Amino acid sequence: MKILTLTTTLALSGALAGTAAATTYPLTFKDDLGRTVTVKAEPMRIISMLPSTSETVCALNVCDRLVGVDQYSDFPAQLSKVPKVGDLFTPNVEAIVAQKPDVVLVSKYSKLDGPLTQAGITVVAVNPETYDEVFSKTLLLGKILNREAAAKALVTTMARDIAKTEVLARAAVNKPTTYFEIDPTPYSIGPQSFLGVLLTKAGARNIIPESMGDFPKVDPEFIVKSNPQLMLGLDAKTAAARPGWAGLNAVKSSKVIAIPAELNTMLGRPGPRLPAALRALAKLIHPELFR
Amino acid sequence: MAMSTPSPAPSSPAQTARPVRGWATRLPRALGLAALVAVAVILGTGLGSVTVPPGDVLAALWRGVSGQELAGSDVIVWQIRLPRVVMGLLVGAALSMSGGAFQGVFRNPLADPYLLGVASGSALGATVAIVLNWPRTLIPLAALVCALGAVALTLILAREGRRFPPTRLILSGVVIGSVLSAVSTALILRGQDRARLVLSYTLGDLGFSGWHDVATVLPYVAVGGGTLLLLSRALDTLQLGDLTARSLGVPVERLRLLVVVAASVATAGAVAYVGIIGFVGLIVPHIARLAFGAGHRTLLLTSAVLGGAGLVLADLLARTTVLSQVGIVTTLLGGPFFLWLLRRQRE
Repeated sequence: MKILTLTTTLALSGALAGTAAATTYPLTFKDDLGRTVTVKAEPMRIISMLPSTSETVCALNVCDRLVGVDQYSDFPAQLSKVPKVGDLFTPNVEAIVAQKPDVVLVSKYSKLDGPLTQAGITVVAVNPETYDEVFSKTLLLGKILNREAAAKALVTTMARDIAKTEVLARAAVNKPTTYFEIDPTPYSIGPQSFLGVLLTKAGARNIIPESMGDFPKVDPEFIVKSNPQLMLGLDAKTAAARPGWAGLNAVKSSKVIAIPAELNTMLGRPGPRLPAALRALAKLIHPELFR
Repeated sequence: MAMSTPSPAPSSPAQTARPVRGWATRLPRALGLAALVAVAVILGTGLGSVTVPPGDVLAALWRGVSGQELAGSDVIVWQIRLPRVVMGLLVGAALSMSGGAFQGVFRNPLADPYLLGVASGSALGATVAIVLNWPRTLIPLAALVCALGAVALTLILAREGRRFPPTRLILSGVVIGSVLSAVSTALILRGQDRARLVLSYTLGDLGFSGWHDVATVLPYVAVGGGTLLLLSRALDTLQLGDLTARSLGVPVERLRLLVVVAASVATAGAVAYVGIIGFVGLIVPHIARLAFGAGHRTLLLTSAVLGGAGLVLADLLARTTVLSQVGIVTTLLGGPFFLWLLRRQRE
């Protein structure tokens, strides 16, 4: 299964090479809200309302065309000079309109498409949610922004870097059974979720079965029953203090690891730093492979 | 929680007079309630997302009680399920007794334990702690302090000289509640990525209740609930109206203050550790009144038992079904159940 995904990513990137062409405008396509959108000409003034999308736009070498970003867009560093126009759910619509953008990139969860379309501004909802979508949406953004060649090159590099970590992690002798906590309610991640795919690729065995869904609320007694060898996303003190957890394998062998803030941010952004995030995650799980 | 005008007393004075019942009627009822608690405890410790055979459950309980070393699924039964069940009993009892006492002291069937701002106060405390990313052990403390603070504020605002008129208390409580909720909401919107944690707290969850939490909550419930029981006879007299009660020698103002404080202490202590579980404190006293009569000693005791057992069963549903949080179960199932009971009563 893993070898299969690896070869498909490599095959995908191989097939991509050398087929890039300039985008012909007007470009019409269906966005993530299911709307038919037409981009009339190459966008020169772009607003991105998602941190991951901002990262992708910059990775496509058109960072200087961003005339506005949401308040959480903080990478790469040069975005600090770009005006902030609120965030996805409390956007500053007036500031967005005032920037006279050619295109505003949102996610399907915002309600910005209504007022902005009314104001005559092109709105595109594009947000990757699964692992595979990270690549397909990057290519789509490349097409929209007339940076198809850059997008294909980016996807190829990402696939190559991911493959490197995967090959390394596959060599691990022991793949620990792992509980990944995304919040202390507690919620965890299923193997088909974006983070779940990364966790498996990084050389861990997720204790959450696929049948529990992508972001299940977990009963603490299920975690005790599973008795994972590794816990990620919480600190050792918290884990030991929970009723019945002190005797669990991960707690006894000090294999409870909080996710560092920067890695946490990267893991929450399905964008060009995905390979770096995977590598950092694999390093947390298998420090012995990175000596 | 929201209420505008105090409506007539939930029970007419005639009903309030304690019926003279012998052991012949009391004993079967007491046995019935004891059986209900037993069933709730057995189901609550026996069932869960992990299947533990009944024999192993009993063995785990024995090893837990006798202090032997826990093995295998013992940890699940003794350290996770049983404290969760005991916490359910405590919290259910606290909320139901407080609700019954509030309904009695305000002579208002819409009164619930959150009437004077305990819920919005503890929600604010928890929200501040969560949004500012304080250590998780500080969340209940922040909730407790803010809940008691909210009640104190309500009392101060409602005070009229040495008196605490019921209408002013209720209105002050509603306003304090709304204002604090607005502050909480503003904070949640500022720290959006933690919204789910706050939501989970405001729905109530017994998920991580351990023996330590049980021991922490117990004093609040015992002191608050015990005080209310001691005041039950005075509460009965109060049903005749302030004037009559006063002429019968009940210090009405002091009684009202004492009941409000005792009920709020029990509620705040419970809610701080498990979140704001809704509806229990409103409907359980009504169910108890329908089934066992309106005398406050019986009402408070039976409310405690029914509320405790009910919350344990609700939590069992929460952790084994998609309803996922006990507060969702109590509201979703408690409401229709109560309406059904009301309609049956009329026929």
